[in-house]
Amino acid sequence: MMNSMNNIMKQVDDVLNVLNKEVISNRQFAIDINKGDVHQALTYLKSIGFTQLSIITCVDLIADNKFQLIYILNNWELGLFVIVRTDIDRDNPSYVTVVNIFPGAKYYEREVHEFFGVTFEGNDSSFKPLLLEIWDDIPPLRKDFDPQVYSDRKFEKRDSDKIYRSKIGGVKL
Amino acid sequence: MKEVKLFLGPQHPGMHGNYSVQMYVDGDIVKKARPTPGFLHRGFEKLMERRLWMGNLALIPRICVVEPDINEMVYAQGIEMLAKVEIPEKAHWIRMMILEMARLAIHIMGLGGIGGPTGLYTLTYWAIAQRDLILDLFEEITGARVYHMYIVPGGVRKQLPDGILEKLSELLDELEVKIPEYRELGLKHPIIHKRLKDNIMLPEDVVWEVGITGIGMRSATNKEYDLRKVQPYARYDQVEFDVPVANYSDALTRVNIKYKEIFQSIRILRQVIEKMPKEGEVRTKISTGSALRWKVPAGMVYSAIESSRGEYGYFIVSDGKEMPYRIAVRGASYPQGLLGIEKYLVDCRIDDASLWMDTMGVCSPEIDR
Repeated sequence: MMNSMNNIMKQVDDVLNVLNKEVISNRQFAIDINKGDVHQALTYLKSIGFTQLSIITCVDLIADNKFQLIYILNNWELGLFVIVRTDIDRDNPSYVTVVNIFPGAKYYEREVHEFFGVTFEGNDSSFKPLLLEIWDDIPPLRKDFDPQVYSDRKFEKRDSDKIYRSKIGGVKL
Repeated sequence: MKEVKLFLGPQHPGMHGNYSVQMYVDGDIVKKARPTPGFLHRGFEKLMERRLWMGNLALIPRICVVEPDINEMVYAQGIEMLAKVEIPEKAHWIRMMILEMARLAIHIMGLGGIGGPTGLYTLTYWAIAQRDLILDLFEEITGARVYHMYIVPGGVRKQLPDGILEKLSELLDELEVKIPEYRELGLKHPIIHKRLKDNIMLPEDVVWEVGITGIGMRSATNKEYDLRKVQPYARYDQVEFDVPVANYSDALTRVNIKYKEIFQSIRILRQVIEKMPKEGEVRTKISTGSALRWKVPAGMVYSAIESSRGEYGYFIVSDGKEMPYRIAVRGASYPQGLLGIEKYLVDCRIDDASLWMDTMGVCSPEIDR
């Protein structure tokens, strides 16, 4: 199994402009791709057997002022996962949709827009709300969103004379 | 004729959980369908970022109500992959036993659940009663009936109680006799058979377009696309089992595959009882630190297993601290529950809509999280 993964990694490295690659386990590897090359990379990976899009998600790298978009593809024949990563700007996050390659991306992109505020050009439905109702704050999965501040603003404080704390202490929840 | 807007759910006997579909119907044919998730959104992904790695264990089973163990398994497996920890041999076998018992429970419930939208409630009552017998065993092993929190990072929480394997063996004997009765009563019933046969089709190109996994995928592609076979985890490479497949996917085929998978789970459990090591530890430490406060090395990993509805995965990012940096949940019914409903519930009859959800395997808590 390790062999076929090495072959695939070598193929991918030859064809695509891979910035960085990482072996995560013997059935999974990750590649970093330039922002402009993701569509080419996904099309190529789809053509060599990674026919299923498992998930599109996003990681807020607030220290580097970046969002990292994550595309995870599954190759059912070989039993391999590939994680395609690309960095986009955090201040004005926008990217181009991949629904023309994987139609299933439609709702994943809509969710990333809702929770991180990344807009996807070409996927108009991604601007509609999906899970949150009447949301009036910054997108909630960003690291600078603080649920405590939000709930203090949104809900009335209840007075209680008992305070329950965990015994291990020090964990601010 | 003018189209009428109809709400299927969130309060509807044919609906699984708190989910809603807005259907625009002409006569009794659905012309347009819009999934409306969000009734069960509890912000799990954000909550997980603000709790200890160990504390999350009480949270994650709630993501999928009827099959909670898969959450514990993907979470534990992901952490072990990040920390590069090898867990004791016996723990692998116990995990496999728990996962297959959970699969049995949900498949029996799903098989009986077909009685809901078709109107044969006897099947549902039987199924709930049979499932309860499995929950009794879960209670004995883990102390809880529904949310077990038994599979923990590093192994399982504690040793199996004495005599549990014998009890499981007896239960399997009973199930093997009882489950064929479901077929006699339900799947061979002329009315149900007529409702399911050649109805609610799932062509192969739709599988690839939408990204459906699990029974839907295997019933349409005729390939053994099951993560237990394709990427064996736990000790699935050391037991023998078949993956039922088909190349014509109507509702009846998918229910039949579910029926056959019950017997494969029983077959796996019998081998687990036989092959499980009698002695040995069941838990190891992930890293130094107290039992509750420990750190996971920095890195990112996608951990996935085969749930009853397909590929179920967590994408876990750690920055080396006591809490996760980011966890994204890939619910197995996400593709068919959103894009699938939007595109392919169209042209279905109103009374088949809840049957559509049932046989495609739509589970609302894992879509909402």
